[in-house]
Amino acid sequence: MTLLDVSESLPVKVVCVGCGLGMSRNLASLGIHAGDIVSVVRRAPFSGPILVRVESTGANIAVGREMAGRITVETERHRDAS
Amino acid sequence: MKLKDIGTLLELPDSNGSDIPTLAFVGQPNCGKSTLFNALAGFKANTGNFTGTSVEFTESLAVVGNRRVRLFDLPGTYSLNPSDEAEAVTRRWLDERRADAIILVLDASVLSRSLELALEMAETDMPFAIALNMMDDAARKGISIDVELLSARLGVPVVPTVATRGTGVVQVVSSALAVASRPVQAIRPVYDRDVDMAIESVEALLPAGLEPSERRFFAVRVLEGDADVEARVGSLNREALQAALCIRHELAVEHGWPEDGVFASHRHAIAVNLSEAVSKVVRKPVRSKRDRFDSVAMHPVFGPLAAFAALAGFFAMSFFVGGALSGLVAAPFEHLGEALAGRFPGVVGAVFKGLVDGLGGGLAIVLPYLLPLLFLMALLEDVGYLPRAAFLMDGLLHRIGLHGKSAVPLIMGYGCNVPAIVGARALESRRDRLLTVLISPFIACSARTVVILALVGAFFGLKWVIAFYLLNILVAAGVGRLISSFVPGTPFGLLMDIPPYRIPPFRSVAAKVWFRTRSFLLSAWPALIVASVLMALLEFAGIDGMINSFLQPFTVTLLGLPAAVGVTLVFGIFRKELTLLMLFQALGTTDVSSVMSPVQIMTFVVFVLFYIPCVATVITQVREIGWKWTGISVLLSASVATVLAFLVSLAGR
Repeated sequence: MTLLDVSESLPVKVVCVGCGLGMSRNLASLGIHAGDIVSVVRRAPFSGPILVRVESTGANIAVGREMAGRITVETERHRDAS
Repeated sequence: MKLKDIGTLLELPDSNGSDIPTLAFVGQPNCGKSTLFNALAGFKANTGNFTGTSVEFTESLAVVGNRRVRLFDLPGTYSLNPSDEAEAVTRRWLDERRADAIILVLDASVLSRSLELALEMAETDMPFAIALNMMDDAARKGISIDVELLSARLGVPVVPTVATRGTGVVQVVSSALAVASRPVQAIRPVYDRDVDMAIESVEALLPAGLEPSERRFFAVRVLEGDADVEARVGSLNREALQAALCIRHELAVEHGWPEDGVFASHRHAIAVNLSEAVSKVVRKPVRSKRDRFDSVAMHPVFGPLAAFAALAGFFAMSFFVGGALSGLVAAPFEHLGEALAGRFPGVVGAVFKGLVDGLGGGLAIVLPYLLPLLFLMALLEDVGYLPRAAFLMDGLLHRIGLHGKSAVPLIMGYGCNVPAIVGARALESRRDRLLTVLISPFIACSARTVVILALVGAFFGLKWVIAFYLLNILVAAGVGRLISSFVPGTPFGLLMDIPPYRIPPFRSVAAKVWFRTRSFLLSAWPALIVASVLMALLEFAGIDGMINSFLQPFTVTLLGLPAAVGVTLVFGIFRKELTLLMLFQALGTTDVSSVMSPVQIMTFVVFVLFYIPCVATVITQVREIGWKWTGISVLLSASVATVLAFLVSLAGR
């Protein structure tokens, strides 16, 4: 499951930012790392970016759709079951 | 980081060769560096609630307490490993020009993220003090931070500040001056044993000639994959670099980390731990009205509608209020001009008339039209709306081959195209920057707004003004689409911080409006007056007729305009406001409709809206994208203007 599949305001845990070397660094500098709890706040129109909230700091980050599609996440519940 | 270039080992003199201590503000984007800087130096650096407000450094002398200091405001950078032009400015500055101390500005409301930069700074041997800024935002989030503990853990002074209110700014300067005169090494982060051992091994490999304190910094940078440092080490000793890269590779493989992620993830973990150790949540965060405002402002449907309604309202306001004011201001000057011309016949009278027209024209532009527009722009920038606009518009902008972040400079272009072009530096890729710079001149800046409001607004009404802006946006989008199909590549995905809304203190908005008004008064107003006198002299000598008849095939035959507008278009290249003033002067009346038909007025405004960007814009373009692309940009503007104006003129024939 990627960030694109998450319904709004459901907290999820970032599993992997596996989208090339440069990108994980850029996301990390804005505060999104593997292991962080994030949630999707809203989506922009015209297949625009999604707004991601990092729960630990409350920072809001706009992430382009393509990038969001390469951030895999899991729900808290899912993690308990596995 | 001693400032010796390790490639050439040149000894650089002190940055300024004087005894005045030099301090530089370094911090992540939008943490309040420029606001702190302005609190000390007066309004000199532009501020705004979005990342990438400062793309260049600003320098100023200031007196703090009773000491003179030289202050530098550097562009924000998330890390010392730069990822865009603006960040590279900061990194180069740190590498090359020795400040006596750094004031590292941290955003207390996102402490763990900010601390990652502090940990990077601690790797260097640059003395620094920390301004823990935005303490009010942190308090709003219900976070309390143990400042003394943080200072003890990092080994550097930490001063809590609220830059917008000026709280703590003097203390942080004294702390920085103290570390400048008695440098202390910050406590370096302790990584895993394996990482620390890798650092030690690389340190041992580094070529001789580095001071012990900078060896460690270079070792860390090589392990992090810093291309700059790698190149410098490689140029000194190829084998050493190869060996170091081997160590880096092994370290990553052994632990299954990505090669460039080892330090980032370690620093992140250390920063999170440190942040948890020094801060505690004392109460629930205030779920403020500001958050609720976003559910409208960033709503997929209501957001753009609300933005459009707000802008239309704004234009309505400056149209009704500004129009009335403008008439009031202009009339006495017009009478005075005529009286003087009557009193002094000949060349003296012509000069007087030009002088008075220029003075009055400047006032009639500034007061009613420019001031409200500058105020609105300042508010939009400081409140934090621009990054939200970028979020909303990213999807649409991608369709014309642009990047959502371009929305920020492009919207600023409505104030003036020059900051829009410079602001494009905040975009990461060269292609996105180029496209933004090429499209910026098509945005109707405040000077063109003056022309639109004074001609279209006065003679056709508000509906047409709004139609003009829509036309403007459509043309800009069309041009964007066209250019992007010639520049290969796709725009990067959007990745940008959306800061919380901040209510700027009135003082800072007023300072910003004054700063920009003053720059109009100092540069544009004299130009208006000189041009006005020049125009009067040309008229007196009958040279304007020669220019007009030279341009006649274009103005009269092609566009169906009166021959008298020819000379105004020439002046308009210098400043777009001039076209309006010169038009009044050339036609001998402010009631343009008595001399020009409605279609002619429309044709004229369409042409002025799009033709050659003003001189300041062209010069800025040359600096940012070079002669070739600037030439293309100018040709493009001129052809678009000619084609559109010709099409409009057809309606009258």
